[in-house]
Amino acid sequence: MKKTHNKYKGAWPSAFLAPFCVCFFLFNLFPILYSFYMSFLDWNGYGEKTSIGFQNYIEIFTKDDLFWKSLLNTVKIGVIGFPIAIILGLVFAAIICNLVHCKNLLQTVNFLPYITTPVAIGMIFTFIFEKHVGFLNKLITALGGEAINFTGSPKWAPLVIAFMIIWKCTGYYMAMYLAGITSVSEDVYEAARIDGASRVQTFFKITIPLLKPVTTFLVITSAIYAFQLFDEPNLLFTNQSATTVGGPGQSCLTMVWNFYNQAFGANPRLGYASALSCVLFIIIVLVSVVGLRVMNGKED
Amino acid sequence: MKKVKGILTGILLTVVSLISLVPFWFMFSMSTYKSEMIFQGVPIVPSDYFLENLRTIFASNFVQSYGNSLFVSAVSMVVTVLICAMVGYGMNVYNFKFKKALSIFIMMTMMVPSQIGIIGYMIEMRNIGINQTLWPMIFTWFANGFGAYWMISFIQSSLPIELVESARIDGASEVKIFRSVVLPCIKPGLLTLCLLVFLWSWNNYMIPLVFVNKQENYTIPIFIKSLASAYRTDYGAQLAGLTLATIPLLILFIIGSKNFIKGLTAGAVKG
Repeated sequence: MKKTHNKYKGAWPSAFLAPFCVCFFLFNLFPILYSFYMSFLDWNGYGEKTSIGFQNYIEIFTKDDLFWKSLLNTVKIGVIGFPIAIILGLVFAAIICNLVHCKNLLQTVNFLPYITTPVAIGMIFTFIFEKHVGFLNKLITALGGEAINFTGSPKWAPLVIAFMIIWKCTGYYMAMYLAGITSVSEDVYEAARIDGASRVQTFFKITIPLLKPVTTFLVITSAIYAFQLFDEPNLLFTNQSATTVGGPGQSCLTMVWNFYNQAFGANPRLGYASALSCVLFIIIVLVSVVGLRVMNGKED
Repeated sequence: MKKVKGILTGILLTVVSLISLVPFWFMFSMSTYKSEMIFQGVPIVPSDYFLENLRTIFASNFVQSYGNSLFVSAVSMVVTVLICAMVGYGMNVYNFKFKKALSIFIMMTMMVPSQIGIIGYMIEMRNIGINQTLWPMIFTWFANGFGAYWMISFIQSSLPIELVESARIDGASEVKIFRSVVLPCIKPGLLTLCLLVFLWSWNNYMIPLVFVNKQENYTIPIFIKSLASAYRTDYGAQLAGLTLATIPLLILFIIGSKNFIKGLTAGAVKG
């Protein structure tokens, strides 16, 4: 086998790998590098470019309250939403993996939110959670409670976003865990059953430890996803009043929304926004590296 | 006792599934109402205004937006999947100097979201002179880290290398092997990735938001949003548009769901 490999050492590997590498350079790497270069400029996109060194970064870390606020919001929404979605996904997967009949049906149905257009999700959730006409509040008032201003108060709005995440991702996580459970050998469960382990014991002692690779993958990808949050919060609030950036009290201004608004909002500051995106990039890299370390480190 | 447990589990799963499904029902059901009527009650039962709403959206440039979305998603899908399949093939059947480094590099590209470079990307597209076209929404998918990584592991597990070797002995050229031996062999993987890229592209919101600045280039998400500002916010029409944009995808997904979920999870779970 080695021999044939060597025979085709010539130009063929490059031919097959070149399209990816070239496209990656042109459409992914170069834009990032260019953003990095722009982060040292003061530039609104059209006029004069002025080189201002590290000024943008200094402003971000020392003067920009909005940056810290958006960081806090993003972490808050992510920390509430994703762990619940992952845990629910795991629990549901453990419940339905033994079902004979509707396993596939349940999996498909719960996967649907994951593939739905964010625009639709944003609109539907607006209709559900809106204060005066939202269905949930109609239900609450019908039951004699007092309407809650879900999308209008800084206290509730981030929770609505977190709920959107849970709604959207649980089915996907469930599918991932189901695949993981299926790949665990039946013998392991059989042995546990013979030893008289209860289902709960089996879940904690066998299922969770054996699914660790899946959990690692999901935790890291969802951490990355959390720092990219933009569609859901943005779409939840654009249908209401177009003027609010970041939802009520800017409680839903995520990092990407903040940087989008600096770059393409009413008063574009491309240099500054580039600096924001570079900071975001570093955060994402740190989170993935630390995440990988922590999750793998526990093993030894 | 066991029976009670079974029933409770059944109820729990039904409730959860309902929570997943109810918003879809609302979307469809609300799209059959006149905007002003939607909030009169809770629109659980469909009304009779669906055709009117359809007329409204067809009167604006819904068809063109739909076409744009189809074009963008289809081209992105075909090219991206081809590029990923080529990487998958190259990484699995050849040995070359920087293979290990490249493999780590592809892993890393998976972790870098494309939004990070979007400002640079916009300036780049503007300088090439294509920022007013649909192409920026297409190019952005071509070097998809997840797709490449996923294809590499899929080909590794499903392409018998002997097949390639024997084709070589028969004197087939590398291009021919790729086209008539490899591609048919990895068809399920190709289909899964096709569906995935199509979906990403179809649902994408931020890149069109940055690049689309004239009606002729609207994609579905931007079109729906434009209905909110153009005249009065016509929720009924918006939802009718969304229904038409979502339902075909759902049907496609339900038909292929078994293979799709299996494929998606197989690629990811291994990593």
